[in-house]
Amino acid sequence: MPEWKQEISERLRGLRLEPAREAEITEELSQHLEDHHAESLASGATPEEASRATLAELSDSELLARELRRVERQVAPEPIVLGTNRRKNMIADLWQDLRYGVRMLMKKPGFTLIAVMTLSLGIGASTTVFSVVDGVLLRALPYRDADGIVAFSEVDRRNGQSSLVSPGNFLDLQRRGQVFAETACARPWRFEIIGQGEPEELNAWLVTDGFFRILGVNALRGRLFTPEEYRAGNNQVVVLSHRLWQRRFGARPEVIGEKLIFGNASFTVVGVLPPEVEFPENRDLWSPYIIPNNAAQVRVRGFLQTVGRLKPNASVAQAQAEMEAIAKQLAVEYPGANTNTDLKAVLLRERLVGQVRPALLVLFGAVGFVLLIACANVANLLLVRGAARQKELAVRMALGATRRRLVRQLLTENLILAALGTVIGALLANWGVRVILGLKEGLPRAGEVGMNWRIPVFAILVSGLTALLFGLIPSLQLSSPDLQNTIKEGSQTTTPAGLLRRLRSVITVAQIALALTLLVGAGLLARSFASLLRIDPGFRSDNVATLQAHIFRNYPKPEQQAAFFEQALEKISALPGIQAASAASAPPLIKDSIDVEFKFGIEGRPQPAPGEEPTAFHTVVTAGYFETLKIPLRQGRLFNQTDNAGAAPVTIINESMARSYWPNENPTGKRIAVQWNQPALREIVGVVADIRHTGLDSAPRPELFLPHLQQPFGSMAFVVRTADDPGTLLPSIKNAIWSVNKNQVIRHIVTLDQLISQTLEDRQFNLLLLGIFAAIALTLALVGIYGLISSSTGQRTQEIGIRMALGAQRGDILKMIMREGAALILLGVGLGLVGAFALTRFLRTLLFGIEPTDPITFLGISLLLVLVALLACYIPARRAMRVDPMAALRYE
Amino acid sequence: MTNINTRIFDRELKKGSAELLILSLIEARPRHGYEICKLIESRSGGALSFHVASLYPLLYRLEKRGWIKGQWVEKAGQRRRRYYKLTAEGKKVLAAQRSAWESFVAAINRITGTEHA
Repeated sequence: MPEWKQEISERLRGLRLEPAREAEITEELSQHLEDHHAESLASGATPEEASRATLAELSDSELLARELRRVERQVAPEPIVLGTNRRKNMIADLWQDLRYGVRMLMKKPGFTLIAVMTLSLGIGASTTVFSVVDGVLLRALPYRDADGIVAFSEVDRRNGQSSLVSPGNFLDLQRRGQVFAETACARPWRFEIIGQGEPEELNAWLVTDGFFRILGVNALRGRLFTPEEYRAGNNQVVVLSHRLWQRRFGARPEVIGEKLIFGNASFTVVGVLPPEVEFPENRDLWSPYIIPNNAAQVRVRGFLQTVGRLKPNASVAQAQAEMEAIAKQLAVEYPGANTNTDLKAVLLRERLVGQVRPALLVLFGAVGFVLLIACANVANLLLVRGAARQKELAVRMALGATRRRLVRQLLTENLILAALGTVIGALLANWGVRVILGLKEGLPRAGEVGMNWRIPVFAILVSGLTALLFGLIPSLQLSSPDLQNTIKEGSQTTTPAGLLRRLRSVITVAQIALALTLLVGAGLLARSFASLLRIDPGFRSDNVATLQAHIFRNYPKPEQQAAFFEQALEKISALPGIQAASAASAPPLIKDSIDVEFKFGIEGRPQPAPGEEPTAFHTVVTAGYFETLKIPLRQGRLFNQTDNAGAAPVTIINESMARSYWPNENPTGKRIAVQWNQPALREIVGVVADIRHTGLDSAPRPELFLPHLQQPFGSMAFVVRTADDPGTLLPSIKNAIWSVNKNQVIRHIVTLDQLISQTLEDRQFNLLLLGIFAAIALTLALVGIYGLISSSTGQRTQEIGIRMALGAQRGDILKMIMREGAALILLGVGLGLVGAFALTRFLRTLLFGIEPTDPITFLGISLLLVLVALLACYIPARRAMRVDPMAALRYE
Repeated sequence: MTNINTRIFDRELKKGSAELLILSLIEARPRHGYEICKLIESRSGGALSFHVASLYPLLYRLEKRGWIKGQWVEKAGQRRRRYYKLTAEGKKVLAAQRSAWESFVAAINRITGTEHA
């Protein structure tokens, strides 16, 4: 009888089964064959016939093995030798690469930590800025077909200043505009709530029919206004903003249908708007606007926010062309008001975010630089680390790994770094966005900044590109090691010295160049800020509080208005701790005051052509206003209590006005025709110093002042100078005003110092962010050059030792190393200066008082960078200088 | 051509039905490989037969799928043998295959039956 087991195991040999399994199969199959054999014999076959028949069961020699191979698992899949050229198992390779990569990274925790931190800083910062740019600039407005909505403005051709649209011009552009499907306007309004605690005022928009249609907005609750409600008598209805609904009405749905009492009229709530409606700006409520009949004549004061929806095929360019044509017609028809007025139509989105776009784009660019520098740093780290791994890679290559395979392994390690950097960067970005929104309160569309799919996509894209960028160069360079040399026992572990150093030098030069560009940008902003702070606003803002009161409703008559302010000022002045108290229709910096430019006439001069009349801003003030703000008197006298209704009409002008209209004369004693609501020929009794009315960066403008006793006005702000911090006195000041009339709403309670710092906020924000980015860039670049020089001196210890043994002085060594560093630094600074010259013009709108190519900034920053970079070289150079020649030579 | 096609048809038919055959043979009680082999041969009147080289790989495959389970059983006075029994999942597969087979046969019969009618 043949040896069945042997027959079978011969056939199984090629399969390389696990020994136990192979034994099991052999046993089972040999039993079968034995049975078969026995049966054949029993049925009368000769032993030879029986053996032959039984062997036939195994069929040809291959069949069994072939069939079993499909079913049986082979012995532990052959070990994946790193770097082998097996393509069939990509996933297993990848997994292997990942595990191997993680192990390698864990072996060098210091390297990994620094690399991941650098990357997460770069990715976090760029994702932060991208999130803001995305929410503010990129995302579509939350209105239907937002790219068909335009906003209008008037532009004064003489100074380029834009303002809102006057009712007369709005009616004309509404009537004449052909490219618009519909136009509408909104005017700011206030509703007073009296008799429930402190009198409060709600800010409202009165809107014409079509306003909501143009925006494509629907009510969140209830409804918007019906066409009937835009008719006189039916317009006592309001729609609440989402914020007011939440704040004052606890988000109750039943509020719809309730009546609200404003002043002495009652309004029915018909609806609530969704939260994203923030145009023209978020206000408390909305009500129908019925344009009064006489509005067509009002063309000088633009106060209407106007919007239009383009007809389906019309473009903004067409709209603008039409606006220009209409402006020309109006200039002919109304030469007095419209000679210098251009009408402008821009996309609503442009109106909302056009102001912040330059700053955001600059920051976005800056953060891109930071990311590049971070990449360069990590690439540098990888290069150094790669040099140390040279031997490992050489061994793997000797064992048959292809370059391709090694590059993949290295790239996988980089991807792990990038992935870690992304995760931490995302957390940083999450925090950074909140910090930015906290810092920049007035940012338009801030509510729309937040998570959406584009942000993770951006972060992943950035980190993927980053991994390629910082990883590919070292990988390619590393994966062609000089096998022979590297693998030799005892040889130096830093083979590709030349190439490696050149690459690292290129990276370091690039880092220095990028850092310099950012530093110059930050330096320009810093110098702008400093020169702004040096500006004298022309008034003293310390310890001054302002409180605004619109008293038209409570005191419709001029005499009543004058009396109210006189009485209130008397009460305030009587309070302890008050140094001076006064009031003005438009004190500096208060945005919501009635601050208007009017024409005036000069006695004895010929009537100018229409549109050529002299103009000045008109401000009504009480006696003591200039003293309160400490605005210096230049000529003549200030107002006093005798400049009242019974006395001769007088006025005070500022220096700008004096210079503009009486360049070589003394204006005091001259008379001008002033057309406030009581036109009069007024004698100029004094000239006061200029002030920066709307902020430190605003230019002084011609201004004239009217005494309120001669020209009472129902909207003035109290300006109160206190001995100490005005904040503590505010409650008693308010009570003093309420002691005259307890229903008087007081608004905009704020100190002048607060207002000044508000005007600086945007610049501060830009400076802070760009400064942070530049500081990061500088640090990374310094780390880069320090690392380069110290590793290069480390590698040259032996050479230095020989040089010193042959008689080189310590100073020579220092010079040699510093020269190497200085060459890189100067090259980097040179390239950076070129970059800065090319790029800083994008900063122009953000600068104040200096040119984008300000030589002092360029020179100063370059010097600073050269100095600190040389210092970074000096530390390793000094170490090299102290090398003991004997020790260095034994180092081998 | 016809010849080759017939052979392919034969082979596929056998392969497909072999699983069904094995499953149904061990439905009633566990059997070892040689027993299964013999039963197929005898019950088909010699029309179907399996070689060792094809039967056991098939058994292992079915076992791997979890339809049958092999177990070494030692009985007094005998050497141990590996018995295969139907698992719960195997029972489900068998039921499904059986009904599929029956409908297949029925379909074939309908076609060939009408042709001959």
